[in-house]
Amino acid sequence: MLGALLYLRLTSLKNLLLSRLRRLRQPKYLLGAAVGAAYFYFIFSRPFGGSGRPSISSGSATAASFTLLSAELLPLLSVFGAFALVLIALFTWLVPSEKPGLTFSEAEVAFLFPAPISRRRLIHFRLLGAQLHILLSAIFFTLLSRGWSFLGGHVLTHIVGWWLVLTVVNLHFTGAALTLNRIFDAGISVWRRRLVILGGLAVLVVAAAIPIWQNAPAFPTGNFGPGAFFSAIARTIDTGLLSWLLYPGKLLLAPFLAADIRTFFFALGPAALLLAVHYFWVLRLEVSFEEASVAHAEKRAARVGRFQAGDYRLGSAPVKARREPFPLRVPGRPELAFLWKNLLGTRALFHWRVWAGCAVAIMIGVPWIIRAGGEAPFAAIIATVAAVFAIYTLLLGPQLARQDLRSDLPNSDILKTYPLTGWQILLGQLLTPIAILTGLLWLSLLAVMLALAPRAETVSWLTPGFRLTAGLCAAAVIPALCTLQLLIPNAAALLFPAWFQSTRTRGGGIELMGQRLIFVIGQLFVILISLLPVVLSCALVIFASQWLIGPTAAVVLATLLALAILAAKIAVGLWWLGERFEKLDLATELRP
Amino acid sequence: MIEVSALSKRYGDFTAVRDLSFTVQPGEVLGLVGPNGAGKTSTLRSLAGIIPPSGGTVRIGGIDLAAEPVAAKRLLAFFPDEPRLFDYLTVRQHLNFVARIYGVADHAALAQSLLEELEIAEKADQLPGELSRGMKQKLAIACGLLHSPRVMFFDEPLTGLDPLGIRRMKDSILRRARDGAAIVLSSHLLHLLEEVCSHVLILKKGEKIAHGSLAEISAQFAHGETGVSLEEIFIRATGGSEN
Repeated sequence: MLGALLYLRLTSLKNLLLSRLRRLRQPKYLLGAAVGAAYFYFIFSRPFGGSGRPSISSGSATAASFTLLSAELLPLLSVFGAFALVLIALFTWLVPSEKPGLTFSEAEVAFLFPAPISRRRLIHFRLLGAQLHILLSAIFFTLLSRGWSFLGGHVLTHIVGWWLVLTVVNLHFTGAALTLNRIFDAGISVWRRRLVILGGLAVLVVAAAIPIWQNAPAFPTGNFGPGAFFSAIARTIDTGLLSWLLYPGKLLLAPFLAADIRTFFFALGPAALLLAVHYFWVLRLEVSFEEASVAHAEKRAARVGRFQAGDYRLGSAPVKARREPFPLRVPGRPELAFLWKNLLGTRALFHWRVWAGCAVAIMIGVPWIIRAGGEAPFAAIIATVAAVFAIYTLLLGPQLARQDLRSDLPNSDILKTYPLTGWQILLGQLLTPIAILTGLLWLSLLAVMLALAPRAETVSWLTPGFRLTAGLCAAAVIPALCTLQLLIPNAAALLFPAWFQSTRTRGGGIELMGQRLIFVIGQLFVILISLLPVVLSCALVIFASQWLIGPTAAVVLATLLALAILAAKIAVGLWWLGERFEKLDLATELRP
Repeated sequence: MIEVSALSKRYGDFTAVRDLSFTVQPGEVLGLVGPNGAGKTSTLRSLAGIIPPSGGTVRIGGIDLAAEPVAAKRLLAFFPDEPRLFDYLTVRQHLNFVARIYGVADHAALAQSLLEELEIAEKADQLPGELSRGMKQKLAIACGLLHSPRVMFFDEPLTGLDPLGIRRMKDSILRRARDGAAIVLSSHLLHLLEEVCSHVLILKKGEKIAHGSLAEISAQFAHGETGVSLEEIFIRATGGSEN
């Protein structure tokens, strides 16, 4: 019987690989595969630390410090890794996944459940099925971690190490889910179960905290490096009861962290024993998993159906009706109806009250932190974090904030019957991500301005008036910048709908990842090209006019020029893409 | 109300609709039938302004759809085979949204009466995910009817409906036609056409095979026989194949 089940797995895998290879005949997948492969090559061939692999035999100062780091780091990795495993295990019991312990596809349910196959064989089939993913993940993580030369060991020991960790974690997930199913079957409610587990957790925390409190190792004083800091934390964690809880995790991680083959083989025994215990635990659980598996298979099929119909939400939680972001009055600008509609579809977080609250918190919090913590380091940290966040939001935000035409493309037939021009629909659709990204950038700008205020006061020409004007000018340009940024991915969706839709498929392999990368790189390239003339013009205006009208007025003049150029670009973009939207026939574009 | 002249739609080298001309007067229900790939959906989508035709003109209430699409679209409503709804808008919010798009001033009262007529008033605060297939269909219809369109296009209107839903959909179409709407519907269900349509247009490979009232079409293909069903007429008209 297992032979038949193995045949099913291997044949499906072979056909999947063949279909993936076959679709490389399409240029979009071939190009995607090439870019994806190049990306992986870059990632996997890059050594840890980025600037060349340190060599112990080189005898250089770097190598010496690296050896020292290695000696300190390995026990730390063992403690922190084991601590992470304990947290994962606790999370599994406290917040169990919606998935049943053993997941089957609808086809597997239809074919295997009525078949004369014992429950134990079904469990084996499922566990074996998971092995393929685990093995691939183990290889992937090994490739990712191959630059960590301080680990020692061998590529094969690393693969086996990762495989052991992932297999035991997977078995623990399965065992926990099945055990919880059994508890449910016994009629114990979710809340009673949580109460019991939380109670147990509280006892554990107290029991672990007492020895830590009593024997807390002193933190180093004065100037100390990250190594000393993390060592102190590791010693704190690895005390009393908690050290017993960490013990299985340390055993499990030992083969991966083994520096040589001898240590690896010594470590293999206890880790394999842990795996065997988990395996027999899962196998001996007499739980009826079929019902939950059938329900999950149906849910998954419905989700796939939704996905194929153009609904790309990944969560399975039911959608709840939300409070309207603002009252939609009739008559009024129809574009605002799209803003209202799309805001209803976003998280409750994107509400003007939340934004206002964040602004007040920043205005109170940033000056307080700087005053309380000593000006220089905290101001620099806050300003840097806020600036980096702003740059990421501006550059990558449009790929994440998709509450625009990209999400509504499957409804394009209905949208096109509305008595609106294409550019009106596009503008209306863009308003929500514009509002979200603008809000985030304004908050970042506020944090940067407040964080740099004390330092700016020491520079004579950075007067309060100039800083305020510059801040307001930056704030005025932000919505236009966001609009331009958002036009690009929407243009991609309208100009290359087949490409765009294929990137929205879940999973899909290296070629789809490459396609997504092409879109992100394309977005960055186009925005740089678009902004270059704006930046150069503004710089020229400030340079030429500040001698005549002063720096404050020069900044205002440059901002007006920037707004004019950006507005012109946006208007042309909206009009052109609106025309394109009116002519778009998604059904034809997606025809294979 | 609907005037179509020399309409054509091409996809590259493939011609989906070729030189199609017909009119639909207020109160008429035109059934668009034909074998698979006959060009029904392309025709319907071109008439509703969803896709631009490759040639010819479409006038809705006397307004050229290509020249004045916004004005023409104010008069029409399109009902797709699958109700396309917004996941995060409740039933009432859908109607509110559509009212803003079409500028329907007194929408609250209109929406309420539509919800009651379609028997979804008690679901007004529910999201599409909480509605059955039939309820979703009703909501899509309510959205389409809110601005009192004078022209309606239905694409396979009975898809996924239960017998009661089918009965109500037929009644709804007939009632709108009696109120003066010009209606075009595409369907494979010939019994629907017999019960609902006043006129039939048979397409094959993008070309018009026959067009006229049910009686005229019967007379054209019955060859003097009596009691010939529409199914038989359809088979005779199309030659019994898709090609």
